[in-house]
Amino acid sequence: MQQIEFDTKWTMVVDIDKCSGCGSCMVSCQAENNIAPMEDGSNKLKTLTWMLVYELNNGKEFPERESAYLPRPCMQCGNPACVPVCPVVATTKDEEGGIVSQIYPRCIGCRYCMAACPYHARYFGWFDPIWPEGMEKALSPNTSTRPRGVVEKCNFCHSRLMDARARARAEGMDPNKLPDGWYKPACLEACPTGAISFGDSKNPEHKVHDLIKDKNAFRLLESIGMDPQVYYISRRDWVREQSDNHLPKDKH
Amino acid sequence: MGIDRRTFIQLVTGGVVGSLFTPVIWKSLDDAAIWSQNWSWIPRLKYGQITEHATISKFGPSPCSLMVKSVAGSPYVAKGNAENEMSKGGVDAISAGGAQLLYSPSRVKGPMKKVADGKYESISWDDAEKMLSEKLSAVKGQAGKLAIVSGDATGTSSEVLSAFAAGMGSKDCYLMPGDEQAAAVALENMGGSGQIGYDLDNSDFVLLVGADAMNSWGSVVRNQRVYADKRPTGGDIESVYVYAGPFLNSTAAISDKWVPVAPGTGSIFSLGLAYHMLNAGASASVADFADFKTLVMSRFTPDKVEKAIGVAPGVMAGLAKQLMSASAPLVISGSEFGQGAGAVDIIAASALNMLLGRVGEQGGMKLLADLPLAVDAAASRAELSSRDFAGYLAAVATDKVKAPEVMMAYEANPVYAMPQATTMAAAIAKVPFLVSFSTWMDETASIADLIMPNPHSFERFDDAQTPYGVGTTMLSACAPVIEPLYNGKSTVDVILSVASGLGIDLGYESVEAVLQAKAEKAGADWDSLVEGVAYVSDSTESDSLKFAASVLSKAVTMPKGGEIALAPYAKLNVGSSTMAIPPLNCVTVSKFELQGKDLFVQINGKTAKKLNASEGSTVKLSGAGGECVARVHINEGVMNDVIAAPLGFGHTAWDEFSRGKGDNIAKILTVGTEPGTGMAVWTSSFVSVA
Repeated sequence: MQQIEFDTKWTMVVDIDKCSGCGSCMVSCQAENNIAPMEDGSNKLKTLTWMLVYELNNGKEFPERESAYLPRPCMQCGNPACVPVCPVVATTKDEEGGIVSQIYPRCIGCRYCMAACPYHARYFGWFDPIWPEGMEKALSPNTSTRPRGVVEKCNFCHSRLMDARARARAEGMDPNKLPDGWYKPACLEACPTGAISFGDSKNPEHKVHDLIKDKNAFRLLESIGMDPQVYYISRRDWVREQSDNHLPKDKH
Repeated sequence: MGIDRRTFIQLVTGGVVGSLFTPVIWKSLDDAAIWSQNWSWIPRLKYGQITEHATISKFGPSPCSLMVKSVAGSPYVAKGNAENEMSKGGVDAISAGGAQLLYSPSRVKGPMKKVADGKYESISWDDAEKMLSEKLSAVKGQAGKLAIVSGDATGTSSEVLSAFAAGMGSKDCYLMPGDEQAAAVALENMGGSGQIGYDLDNSDFVLLVGADAMNSWGSVVRNQRVYADKRPTGGDIESVYVYAGPFLNSTAAISDKWVPVAPGTGSIFSLGLAYHMLNAGASASVADFADFKTLVMSRFTPDKVEKAIGVAPGVMAGLAKQLMSASAPLVISGSEFGQGAGAVDIIAASALNMLLGRVGEQGGMKLLADLPLAVDAAASRAELSSRDFAGYLAAVATDKVKAPEVMMAYEANPVYAMPQATTMAAAIAKVPFLVSFSTWMDETASIADLIMPNPHSFERFDDAQTPYGVGTTMLSACAPVIEPLYNGKSTVDVILSVASGLGIDLGYESVEAVLQAKAEKAGADWDSLVEGVAYVSDSTESDSLKFAASVLSKAVTMPKGGEIALAPYAKLNVGSSTMAIPPLNCVTVSKFELQGKDLFVQINGKTAKKLNASEGSTVKLSGAGGECVARVHINEGVMNDVIAAPLGFGHTAWDEFSRGKGDNIAKILTVGTEPGTGMAVWTSSFVSVA
């Protein structure tokens, strides 16, 4: 499939060295995207975590052990594995900005996309979403609710992009050239340690334009060619080494 | 004309091709897909005007200033308030789901009294207040008959409660345990006044001794924001962080260096560093400096310190050198889980700040002035903070002190959250009339005789002054974001009303009036406060402190060794001492802490071998006052002979999102008494493992 090159590339950069694994991003993501609370949150095969924080460690024994936390949203790949396998075109990468869409009413729940995604960023709704009595009044107006039986995933809080574009139009600006900071996903807004940066990596006026060129910046599984729009930064060699299935002599 | 084979094939082919060009089929399929997902039980979204209002949440260990987004008046998401200096735009993992907590299944929906067979019956507010007044009038003027505990260390509401207790003739008004208690006792012993604060914002080298600044120590969200600002992504590190503690917690994980130190031995660690500093010529113009130096040079030599806490002399010397060469170093000490540390931990860390010349300096340790009291009869913050609720309950448990006739719990869940929880719960069970003002059906509310629910943070007036740990005096306040959903009533209003009926004049008629008076006395503008801007003052007390060498000499004892030490830790996503796992937070809990209903504790491979345990095996941990059952996760980020165990699980009340999940580690904490100060401490808890 030919990769589409957009003029705008919404890009997330996560500073792993600053993430304390506090979970604010995950909670905020659920509130913004109307993910119903799940009683047994420990059943990681059945939970819906568009944003999931992984715990990493350097594999060494005490006292040499180090650990780190890696928040993982959808990578919004430039060359997504999920899009071509969808039999009903329920997921596409065709909008300026490069966000991989997920059209819930069109999804037939076949889960080919989940099998194809190397980042485990897609989730299947095994259960109908049930909010405790009254909690449906706290639903966000930004994201439609989904029934069971469809696949869902992070979309960089796409409705916030629409809001930012609407604001730009209202102020007579180009909606495809948003100023830095106008469009912020919920996880970024919630992160208390400022580990998440976000913006258009093709716009030199956006901070992420330079961050992705940082010497410590990397992406997950770069070798398989998905071209993710999520970057990570870590000063720690062992963290960068775990980003891909490197050979021992590879340089990171 | 008959239909031959050719005509038939033409018709079929024509039909197929025709159907490909008609939208009817595709539209029908699309509609079928949509309508097959359009079930009536899937909630529909509510649309309307989006608004934002400032508020304060007190779900976590310290207040968090928020901006709450509402749609058509209904809150749906909370984010940090960047305009507020108290939490600097951050939000904690509980408050992030604050809007959903409005509808928590655990909300108490109105006043209730306990009836026969332990069930509850709804009553009116008038009846509830009458019932409370009757009980209180029977004990008015009698010392020891009324006890009050508040879990809100920053609100003016605690002033109202302490003034009410005083009016009732009771001296037993306490705060739930927190690091501010040890700090207040430490400051008193060092001859200082005000409140100890730490100017993290302007420090370039922060040594955290035990204090888990990202989870449980001080103003957590603010700590996180300051950390973020000092370490810009892609930029240069402006402040180095070193964490000393028994467990590679998330503070250690994002620090530049983790120094493993046995639990509850922070004072030995600090005094071990003092040895190297004194050796390098550090000094301070303080009356008891000579005594302090003699103490440190004789009892905290590198070899003795290594034997006691397992830190090599080279590591200590290197760290001391780093501290002395930094331009704005700062040493902070506290409990690894936000409570139970001794005053000596703070005194020893303060000694380092004094040797480094950092007391009263920018980026150093500050002695912050208290804001004026709003209620004249209230205890000062220093006095209230230094009172020892754990010591009081322990005395009630052992009948050294007679149980009060009435106990009132405000924003507090002592039945669950106190150390040695089973013993403390038994002490509370001795109280004939227990009143809970909890918003939630927590463990304390579920055994209370009377429940008078305080509204949710988003539904009430509230304020927060100078949370422990911040570097400047400050005040925030908030007005309701939403009308109360249920039949709650502000506890301050209840107390003012009941006090008035009992002839106790607290000087105000409503919570709003109290908070406005507080703001006015502080010199803050009420309107700005409720709009979300914090009042900040640089007013400080005298920097003159002493080393309290005599207290250190008595209180710091070397551990015997050879036992398995417990290193509890608190993580914000799991809840706090006043909040069980919120509904949205269930999925954030690590699989290394909870799987199904099984709690996991963490030990390293060497300790596992010693205990004959392996990954996933079940162990029974026994402390002085109780037992816990847990499974083992092997984690090399835990010191030898230490069990790291998460607090916040094992709830017996609340709702399906937290009840019955894991076990409550607070049960196996052991409360001891700190020599020299006499305060209850429980950071050095040892367990036996079976």
